[in-house]
Amino acid sequence: MDEKPGQDRIPDTPLFDRKRSLGGYRINKMAMGLSRPENREAFKQDESAYLDRFSLTLEEKEAVMTRNWREMVRLGGNLFFILKISAVDPVRITEIGAHQAGMEHDDFLRNRLGKNV
Amino acid sequence: MAKLIGGLGTSHVPSIGAAIDKGLRDTPDWKPFFDGYIPGQEWVKEHKPDVAVVIFNDHGNSFFLDKVPTFAVGCAEEYRPVDEGWGPRAISPFRGAVDFSWHFIDTLIENRFDPMICQEIEVDHGIQVPMELFWGRPAEWPVRVVPIFVNVIQYPIPLPSRCYEMGRVLRQAIESYPGDERFVILGTGGLSHQLQGARAGFVNPEADRAFLNDIATDPDRLANMSREQYVEMFGSEGAELMMWLVMRGAMDRDVVVRHKHYFVPASMTGAGMIVMENKAAASPAVAA
Repeated sequence: MDEKPGQDRIPDTPLFDRKRSLGGYRINKMAMGLSRPENREAFKQDESAYLDRFSLTLEEKEAVMTRNWREMVRLGGNLFFILKISAVDPVRITEIGAHQAGMEHDDFLRNRLGKNV
Repeated sequence: MAKLIGGLGTSHVPSIGAAIDKGLRDTPDWKPFFDGYIPGQEWVKEHKPDVAVVIFNDHGNSFFLDKVPTFAVGCAEEYRPVDEGWGPRAISPFRGAVDFSWHFIDTLIENRFDPMICQEIEVDHGIQVPMELFWGRPAEWPVRVVPIFVNVIQYPIPLPSRCYEMGRVLRQAIESYPGDERFVILGTGGLSHQLQGARAGFVNPEADRAFLNDIATDPDRLANMSREQYVEMFGSEGAELMMWLVMRGAMDRDVVVRHKHYFVPASMTGAGMIVMENKAAASPAVAA
């Protein structure tokens, strides 16, 4: 189960394996920090400075600051951690899903989740 | 001797808790989902369990990636809701069944399961939502809880068969526990959903319905499936369904299904519920 990113054994299904966990440690630790109110406040006040506290690389920082969910996951971000960003900067989980699927939100709701929208 | 009176299975989708918090229970999106749980709530009211053993996973709230226990058992006096990013939810703290928790840990070790032991830990939606779905929002919970945390996020995750085997040890612990407490076991998680990758939004209602049948009639099949098969069939996050096997492994081979419910999608998830009793212990009229 230790496949490389982009070589998922089950297509388009990233498993949070050793490589992803090691690669994503900074992003996930930063996001875990958002479970504390003072860190949520710091993130809101100066996002760039908050991210620097966790030594994010430029690539990681850009993925977070542009809310590029697909890229965050590619870099090893795990949804259960990065979802905490949506507690500070609200976005629906279905929008995060649609972004990763590369679909418009309504199409995602209709075609993936079978909703009548 | 303590007694196992039932095995319950349910999803623990966080949006369910958010829907309750926001008063959305009776909106068109949610009413059919919540209505399906009414028979389960009535079963609980009628059977009045004293202790609920709840198998669930933490979602990066009580544990970070620095320490990842494959299995952890709570033996705390009290379990408070954790801050998942939105502040701790306004629900009553759960009271622990401390003495049984330690007895269960003893029994696990004697049977070659070696869990992490947690005397102080907060809990996330993984246990909150199942408790709310069956017991509502009481000012004080009428049952004490035993949380069992299973790592289903950081690979390597445990084998489905291992979860099933742990259930047998749980049964042994309940039946060797002095006292007359009535136990229920809640297997939680799933059903199909995927939150990450280009396959995000994957649900598999057909496989979900088959799972709800087989968890009662053919659990060996589910226990013998590989982790990859779970991921393929139920999605990367849906693989957590294997946690229901701890509950099922604690029950007899023959069970009676009292209630069953399926609804899709709850947020991005196929949501399921089941209430089972051991056939041998069920009332004769039903078992016949």
